[in-house]
Amino acid sequence: MRIEIKDLHFTYPSGVQALRGISLTIESGEQVAIIGQNGAGKTTLARHLNGLLQPTSGEVRIGYWDTRRYSTAKLAARVGYVFQNPDEQLFSRDVHMEVAFGPKNLGYPKERVEALVSEALEMTDLLQKRETNPYDLSPTWRKMVAIASVIAMDTPIVIFDEPTTGQDAATIERIANVIRVLRERGKTILTITHDMDFCAENFERVIVMSQGQVLLDGKANDVLGQEEILATTYVEPPQLTRLGKRLGFKETVRNEEEFLTALQKRWRI
Amino acid sequence: MAIVNLHNVTYKYPLTETPALQNVNLRVKEGEFVAIIGRNGAGKSTLCYTLAGFVPHFFKGELTGSVEVAGMDASKSHLHEWVLNVGLVFQNPFNQISGAKYTVFEEIAFGLENIGVPRDEMKVRVEEAMRLTGISDLADRSPYSLSGGQQQRVALTSILVMQPKVLVLDEPTSQLDPIGAREVFGVIRTMAEQGMTVVLAEHKVEWIARFADRVVALHEGKIILDGTPREVLTSDLLLDKGFGISRYTSAARKARELGLWRQEQLPVTLEEAAEGFALTPNASPKRRCESK
Amino acid sequence: MSLNRSFFVPIDSPLHRLNPLTKLTFVFAMIISAFLSVPDMAPALAVLVLLTGFIGKVQRQYRTVLLKLILPAILFMFVMQSVFLPGGETILIQVGRFDVARENVRAAFLTVSRVFVMVSSFAILLLTTHPSKLMADLTRRGLPPQLAYVIISTLQILPQMQAKAQTILSAQRSRGLDTESTFLKRVRAIVPLVGPLVFGSLVEVEERAIAIEARGFTSPRAKTFLYEVPDTRADRLIRWTLVIFTLLSLAARIWLS
Ligand SMILES: Nc1ncnc2c1ncn2[C@@H]1O[C@H](COP(=O)(O)OP(=O)(O)OP(=O)(O)O)[C@@H](O)[C@H]1O
Ligand SMILES: Nc1ncnc2c1ncn2[C@@H]1O[C@H](COP(=O)(O)OP(=O)(O)O)[C@@H](O)[C@H]1O
Ligand SMILES: [Mg+2]
Ligand SMILES: [Mg+2]
Repeated sequence: MRIEIKDLHFTYPSGVQALRGISLTIESGEQVAIIGQNGAGKTTLARHLNGLLQPTSGEVRIGYWDTRRYSTAKLAARVGYVFQNPDEQLFSRDVHMEVAFGPKNLGYPKERVEALVSEALEMTDLLQKRETNPYDLSPTWRKMVAIASVIAMDTPIVIFDEPTTGQDAATIERIANVIRVLRERGKTILTITHDMDFCAENFERVIVMSQGQVLLDGKANDVLGQEEILATTYVEPPQLTRLGKRLGFKETVRNEEEFLTALQKRWRI
Repeated sequence: MAIVNLHNVTYKYPLTETPALQNVNLRVKEGEFVAIIGRNGAGKSTLCYTLAGFVPHFFKGELTGSVEVAGMDASKSHLHEWVLNVGLVFQNPFNQISGAKYTVFEEIAFGLENIGVPRDEMKVRVEEAMRLTGISDLADRSPYSLSGGQQQRVALTSILVMQPKVLVLDEPTSQLDPIGAREVFGVIRTMAEQGMTVVLAEHKVEWIARFADRVVALHEGKIILDGTPREVLTSDLLLDKGFGISRYTSAARKARELGLWRQEQLPVTLEEAAEGFALTPNASPKRRCESK
Repeated sequence: MSLNRSFFVPIDSPLHRLNPLTKLTFVFAMIISAFLSVPDMAPALAVLVLLTGFIGKVQRQYRTVLLKLILPAILFMFVMQSVFLPGGETILIQVGRFDVARENVRAAFLTVSRVFVMVSSFAILLLTTHPSKLMADLTRRGLPPQLAYVIISTLQILPQMQAKAQTILSAQRSRGLDTESTFLKRVRAIVPLVGPLVFGSLVEVEERAIAIEARGFTSPRAKTFLYEVPDTRADRLIRWTLVIFTLLSLAARIWLS
């Protein structure tokens, strides 16, 4: 499903201008990473996509739906949003109830709800913890519950707000796998992240935000190579991209495979 | 002189069966910067709580072995004495707000009010700490209306400002933007050089390699490696146990198989990687020996 | 209001400049006199409190609290007490099967005035008093910090709860719970809200405890304060006047009865 944002401005009631004219189109089935410094407005933007926030001016369309005309509850059938702070997202007594909450509200038949919940729990490695109270889990596991409870809704659009923060390498790989599975199913995915390696290895399109505006938007290789511009919004290219630059590679590399290929080419092996 | 001295520490949370820490022995010298790495659930946070006195004073449960930090003994002292000497930044950046303050500035001053710092000094220290962590422009904002990364910076600043002898940080950069995270590591490094002892649980191995003096790897509650960043971060044991390693190290490992990394040592920092990969594979001493 | 999780309006006004204890004294003087003195006092005090609200340059916020919180509550009380309370002799009018007696109307008017004085004076205190200054002042005067903290938290409980409820509702809406389309749905949405609200508050209490502990809150050292909270001669004068006023109003009660 397509997302269309036109000249979006947003000012919080306290007077903070968080978004200052964002225009973007994200096509159905695209996987996009959003990066940029703390306070750039990434979360504020995400909260507009399911109607939690309403534009001060400009508009947001999800498919043909204008978010001003549809309630968040309605938009939830189209957009699943994993909050940045799981403490704000989770409210149920146990993990299973939490994950089943969304699909039940969307009115899916019982069997489908159960199937979706089981699958989501499996993908996030939560099967053993289905009866635990989410509050008894560590912050990293709580985040996994938040992810499970959104993917179980099986929405055409899924937004992840910093899914990998504080996670170990194995869990990051698990999250990357969730994203791969969703991609194969043709979902549109937006992921906000500060983990540049994760960004480089899993996304083809990257949007860079700075002070409420879009600074760069394009193919991952093009965007992640622009060290000086990225630095203005406190972003550093991924490790191997920086290494490639140091070694004087002509093309921008962003994962191990590209790096080794470039290295081999350099020494003509 | 060791300012942190854990001897055979084993700790079990209430109502749990397996200990979260098992036979942990850790000595940290004054002014040393030690990084703790480990997978989720390895016991990093529990170790941080233990160093800061929250285990066993706040989290009850069973603690055996001896814990001595900054001249205090866990079995004898009160938590408020620990707080004067040991600062702890918690893992969850979202729930460290005092709940009694109206602005970020006041929030950061809260700790200083509690330990009786005179007003003039308080203001200077708060301003200085906010400058260090890059949040001066948030001074008048409400602590409740901040972005995730801003909240984490406030949490960090609130403890930094108290200038504890030992600073314990549980993943303090998880929500920060990439350059911000590096800068915070830099600030911590500077504090260590000025004599503060730092223990930091983190996943960001690139910055650990560059800024820490020593790395301790924790696995299932036990310390499995303890040494310089290079020793620990290039160890095969880390790979076996599924730890995250830097892209430089893993790329060099692959390159070594292809004959493109000729140095004895694997790299842990960008500089080392750039240097090593820049060597012509053919010209490297090892290759020449082999071809003769 | 939920933004800062406190009612306080950060501006400057004569009421803002008063010492917190002075305002606290005002609140208690008004409440004690309204409830314990002669009945005719309460409506007069209500007018006094209402006028005081307009010295604070917080009229807009005060009006919001008045219209959204206080007025609906006291109207409800007034109707309940004057219409549905049985007894009374002088019947003024009849509403359906109910007689509205003059005695009941008078009693209702009294209750409503008293409640108005109580809620309104608290509102004025909260709107014009910086929470940290209140805490600093009380602690400086020797109140144990723990108790001061509890008082502050209690005074902020409404905006805190409101913010928390808003957070939970946002989370539930984001996962498809319709909480706003019809009146019935709004009412029904309260059920899944209550559990998490109560549980969440309990969790928060624990988290707060550990967070303030980490910042040395229980340290036995003498505390210092970021803000100097002035206590002027005018403050002391007002406080004494209020105390004397309260005593007089109690005396009036004893005298006249
Ligand atoms: N509830 C709020 N009320 C007022 N201002 C807010 C609120 N939430 C965020 N802001 C402000 O809006 C701006 C954008 O915040 P936002 O949360 O969108 O940033 P972000 O890009 O997600 O940052 P981070 O990477 O730290 O999560 C910041 O200046 C922030 O302080
Ligand atoms: N408050 C607690 N009560 C009971 N068990 C806990 C608690 N906190 C952590 N644990 C358990 O202790 C172990 C170590 O956890 P933790 O110290 O949080 O690890 P890390 O910080 O490395 O992710 C885990 O098995 C975890 O489930
Ligand atoms: Mg954010
Ligand atoms: Mg932890």
